[in-house]
Amino acid sequence: MNAQQPALVAPRTERLRPAGQRLQILAVMHQRLMFGMLVYAGLIALIALRILYLAAFGDHAGRKEGLTSFVPDRGDILDRDGQPLATTIDAWSIAIHPTKVIGDKLALAQRLAQLMPERSAEQYFAMLRSGKSFFYLRRRAAPELVEAVNAIGEPGLAIEREPDRLYPQTTLAASVVGFTGIDGHGGAGIERAFDDYLSNPDTRGKPLVSSISSRVQQALEAELGDAMQHFSAIGAAGVVMDVHTGEILAMTSLPTYNPNAPGQGTPEQHFNRATLGVFELGSTFKPFTLAMAMDSGVVSGPGQMYNCPQTLPAYGHIVHDTHPFGRQCSVAEIMMESSNIGMAQMADKLGKDRQKAWLKKMGFLDRVEIELKERGRPLTPGARWGPFETMTIGFGQGIAVAPLQLAMGYATLFDGGIYHPPTILKVGPDRPLAPGRRVFSEDTSYRMRSLLRLVVMKGTGRKADAPGYRVGGKTGTAQKLINGRYSNTINITSFAGVFPMDDPRYVIVVMLDEPKATKETYGFTTAGWNVAPVVSRTVSRIAPMLGVAPNMHREPNMSEVLPFVQEAHKQDAKKD
Amino acid sequence: MSARSFGSLFMVASCAGAALGCYLVSLRVASERASLEDVETRIVLAQRDMRMIQTEIGTRGRLSQLERWNAGAFSLSAPAANQFLEGSFQLAQMVAPQHQVDFQAPVVLAAAPAPEKPGPLEQASTDETGAPTAATPSGMLHQASLKTETREVPATTAITMSPTAATKSADKPVTAAKPAQHSSADKPGLAAAQLRPAKVAVAQKKTVDKPALGATKPMTKHVELAKNDPLLPLAAKHSGKAKDSPPAR
Repeated sequence: MNAQQPALVAPRTERLRPAGQRLQILAVMHQRLMFGMLVYAGLIALIALRILYLAAFGDHAGRKEGLTSFVPDRGDILDRDGQPLATTIDAWSIAIHPTKVIGDKLALAQRLAQLMPERSAEQYFAMLRSGKSFFYLRRRAAPELVEAVNAIGEPGLAIEREPDRLYPQTTLAASVVGFTGIDGHGGAGIERAFDDYLSNPDTRGKPLVSSISSRVQQALEAELGDAMQHFSAIGAAGVVMDVHTGEILAMTSLPTYNPNAPGQGTPEQHFNRATLGVFELGSTFKPFTLAMAMDSGVVSGPGQMYNCPQTLPAYGHIVHDTHPFGRQCSVAEIMMESSNIGMAQMADKLGKDRQKAWLKKMGFLDRVEIELKERGRPLTPGARWGPFETMTIGFGQGIAVAPLQLAMGYATLFDGGIYHPPTILKVGPDRPLAPGRRVFSEDTSYRMRSLLRLVVMKGTGRKADAPGYRVGGKTGTAQKLINGRYSNTINITSFAGVFPMDDPRYVIVVMLDEPKATKETYGFTTAGWNVAPVVSRTVSRIAPMLGVAPNMHREPNMSEVLPFVQEAHKQDAKKD
Repeated sequence: MSARSFGSLFMVASCAGAALGCYLVSLRVASERASLEDVETRIVLAQRDMRMIQTEIGTRGRLSQLERWNAGAFSLSAPAANQFLEGSFQLAQMVAPQHQVDFQAPVVLAAAPAPEKPGPLEQASTDETGAPTAATPSGMLHQASLKTETREVPATTAITMSPTAATKSADKPVTAAKPAQHSSADKPGLAAAQLRPAKVAVAQKKTVDKPALGATKPMTKHVELAKNDPLLPLAAKHSGKAKDSPPAR
């Protein structure tokens, strides 16, 4: 027992310490113990207080966060009447985790091929054996299919709800509304232009109200689509716009695509002809030239006479007319019969600089001012802009603008000469109308009314008349530039109309790209034969919806122009 | 001693009780809040369901679909400009009865005085209560030109009925009205002179409206018919109306 033991453990050192040091150590230990106890007590007190706080003010365990208000994953897009154009729904998606499959893979592949025949059983089997962790089998699946897949009972199959963008009106206004990609972000139209607003959690709860009216849009699309099919045109575009606010009530570009399946659309279908495409729109430009000339004092009024020969040689070229006068003709007649020769003389007198300044003021030399990202840049002669180009621009050749720009120009001309940038959002209490800028004088705007009404009453646009709705407007048939040369047979026809002409409220622009002649048009492919009837039919449908009451007894002041029309005199003399 | 020793215990117990009471209140509040949240959640879920159903209805009834049905199945088209009416007056005009002339009817001279039933307003004024209802002298003068003859017969009945009428409408100045009636009855010459053009006018009207009726009645009997026929059966029928119609005039 007393035998010397090897020093297996270190000798206790405290015994060696003096008594004073021991006391000191004891005090330190007490302090440490006390500190530890206080820490524990503090922690317990903290927990107790927290429990008490939660009991008094806290939430209970079963609370569902985020359900107290309904906020969709992406904001809705509504039309001006509150009808949804784009909305977000909870769609079912079916996916598979091949690594988690526990059943017979071959049987599963066969069953899947039965339910979802877009892939064969071999493909499903290859998928299951690929070793990858995840595949989407179907997105936006129908509830019956989801039920059937769920009934397989395979834990490797994942059936989930995920937000999905739905366009209830399918192709309606597809070029305006746009579409969203697989990542949920906008790919075109409003979806692209207002992507931030629609996806931002702060703003997406409030739907975006567009200026589009579904019913007007449907009428325009149906009539334009009908004409496009009937005349075998390769494309068409149309715009209906509010003259006073610049709101776009309808805008279409045909052929169109289904935004619910944007991937199936061709590039041709995705191309927005109304805003991105620029076209030489021909004689629909003439009212602008006349308004510029009247406002600049070049033309005194509809009674001013011009020499209108059969052909007009100018600056080494020859200007032709489809209905040559071969005599003196008044400005009213030049408009009525859409005379290039008369208009070229007006543009020549106006001059290049003034024409350029006016076009700039009207916004025809810049991209169209609209919220959408698909905006075309107008084509002008640029450096080649000489006196002859001034003449051709005067009658609408040599300058290419988007159909929306043409509508904007007419809206400016008939809103008392005040320009309001076109907008795709509804103007209302939330979004007041921005002040416009004056382009033409009010007097010019007023005098153009009867001139354009004359075109529809007696001139080239007779087929555009919708009885009772006082349509005024101008036809335009432009030769298409093919391989650098103007084709004599292939046209772009357009009509820009305003109604009711006695108090202009709405502008309608329609355009057909390469319409073909039919038996009813007697072989003609001019605008008066193919697009003018579209305007007539569309206006007859949309005017009552827009609150324009038909009235057979109202007209603009035609006495300002009728005395200067020779044909009218002859007809009246015959009647008498 | 015991009370003092248990004092602290009571204190602890009362503190615990108070704390428990407070806790129960907060528990109650929490549970109320939880149920409120449940309701809110249900509202949100209902909103989501409504949205889903609306989306489904909107998608099934999309405009292009409606257009197809309109064009194909129903053959509907937009109304033409002349199908719009400017107001209820124009609508009423469209359903106005067409005036048809009976060419088979015998010819009646315009000058022929046809004894016809007086109009409802005239009957009303010539009822037995005619005297009390004729409130204004100007109204009396106007009626007198038409109905002097016919007033002869009811004059007797009016006298017999006058006490009841007076009791019925005590506030009406019977005495003031009676002299007016007498004055008109006292002038047969004036009345007779005024009777003729009025009857001619009636005859003219009736020959256009009811030619057959005018032809069946002999011209000579008009006075007798005017005296008895229209009044006696109608007196009872229109006695109630008699009080109302003169103020309307």
